[in-house]
Amino acid sequence: MNVEKKHFTCIVCPIGCEIDVELQNGNVVSINGSKCEKGKEFVLQELEEAMRILTTTVPVKGAKWAMLPVRTDKPVPKRLLSKVIEQLADIELHAPVKMYHVIVKDVAGTDANIVATRNMKKVNQRKDAKEAPVSRKEG
Amino acid sequence: MDVEADVTVIGSGPAGLTAALHAHESGAKNVLLLEREEELGGILKQCIHNGFGLEQFKKDYTGPEYAERLIEDLGKTNVQYFLNTMVLSLSPDKAITAVSPEKGLFHIKSRSVVLAMGCRERPRSSINIPGTRPAGVYTAGVAQRFVNIDGYLPGKQIVILGSGDIGLIMARRLTLEGAQVKGVYEIMDYPGGLKRNIVQCLNDFDIPLYLSHTVTEIQGRERVKGVVVSKVDQKMNPIGGSEQFIPCDTLLLSVGLIPENELSKEAGIELTPITKGPVTTETMETRVPGIFSCGNVSTVFDLVDYVAETGMIAARNAARFAGGDWKKGKNPVEIIPGENVRMLFPQRYSFKDDLILFVRCAKPIEKPVKIELSPLEMRLKRLYARPNEMIRLKVSRDKLKDVTGPIEVSITER
Repeated sequence: MNVEKKHFTCIVCPIGCEIDVELQNGNVVSINGSKCEKGKEFVLQELEEAMRILTTTVPVKGAKWAMLPVRTDKPVPKRLLSKVIEQLADIELHAPVKMYHVIVKDVAGTDANIVATRNMKKVNQRKDAKEAPVSRKEG
Repeated sequence: MDVEADVTVIGSGPAGLTAALHAHESGAKNVLLLEREEELGGILKQCIHNGFGLEQFKKDYTGPEYAERLIEDLGKTNVQYFLNTMVLSLSPDKAITAVSPEKGLFHIKSRSVVLAMGCRERPRSSINIPGTRPAGVYTAGVAQRFVNIDGYLPGKQIVILGSGDIGLIMARRLTLEGAQVKGVYEIMDYPGGLKRNIVQCLNDFDIPLYLSHTVTEIQGRERVKGVVVSKVDQKMNPIGGSEQFIPCDTLLLSVGLIPENELSKEAGIELTPITKGPVTTETMETRVPGIFSCGNVSTVFDLVDYVAETGMIAARNAARFAGGDWKKGKNPVEIIPGENVRMLFPQRYSFKDDLILFVRCAKPIEKPVKIELSPLEMRLKRLYARPNEMIRLKVSRDKLKDVTGPIEVSITER
């Protein structure tokens, strides 16, 4: 019989449980060290396919700042993170951009979308009286 | 120009935004929020990673999303905010002098004040690394701003000193942007940041973490050419003969944060060297009546949820103070660190509210621990205690009502 032991540190919450898994012929026979059910789910998912949320930035023109923060709207396979990043390499947006605006659909075939994580106003459209004039990048 | 307010909040990061919202919700009519930068949100705007608001909103937000949510809520209130507004001074009688391009120099008279100025990064000079002074040495937060907001990559071959969360997050961020992170070096024998960040920021990208190591020399004339790293002994002194040269063009420092208390000092607010923030009670009131403090200006927290929670407490009580609902009451008692407690916050109990206590242990215990608040007949249990993870405790007002002397907090093995 082929017995295999694997170790994981859970990343679901800040506790970071140290979880040991025992596999026999590829089947899970025990999971030890997890303080909650979510830890067990995490380990099973890691064994099947490690999934991560990706956060990064894309350039945006006509805004106060050079970069717009974005994220995947759900976890994507860890092994595809670099593919996702590559697909974002040539993107350039123009302000205004609304938060949760979809920038890339089904990025790198992951079924996840890349969405903006903030509102980005166009710089010359500043009618909001509460806001003061722009001074870009001092110091 | 003069402005009047019931509650004035200084700083609009997670603590200040939450405080302004909750001062309004607690019934303060005229709430004013002051922000030095040109938009609200503070450091959240550059913290583009997720993990914000897990406890507060039960959501896994990124920093900008978390800020936008609070800003949106703020927009539904009549809370006034001034941007590009730098507070120049705060007096013990709560007179604020500020300056902005729109208003010039102006004064604010406020019934109560909430300090929410946050913290700053410790720079190279605070840890005295020998060597030359070339370009290419940045604090992790400055590098984060360059990459995430301004769109500049600070370098291509990177060494990170210190394993605080910002350093770990930047290790991943720079790798994703195409830089090579050669390693994270930590002087302590345990990591500074959360475990989950070690896994998803370092292990996921095969970035090595070297514990009990530090940078002992920076080399290069115009630009960093490399750094010398050394092992350290138990007293954190470099071990001769263990030096190793690591070629790199950039050194990032993630070596700690210090509460930003220049204004507090001027207002005559007593600070404590343990947190480097104001001495406060459970209401977040400082030693100056009517001035409250919350978030990282009080003590550097691990989680934004805790920062926001202290903002809520400070705001609720600042609103009460402004509304005249503030009796002197019983004399506060001290809360003092006992066995295996390195830091605690707040430092006094004034019998006005439940006590939300934040403690940090001195030495890690990877076994079940008990936390005792002597002389109370109370033993709180936790599964472990780690210096890099603050412990949050709640003790109801009812349990504390008969306390007469100081409360001593200890964290020991069960």
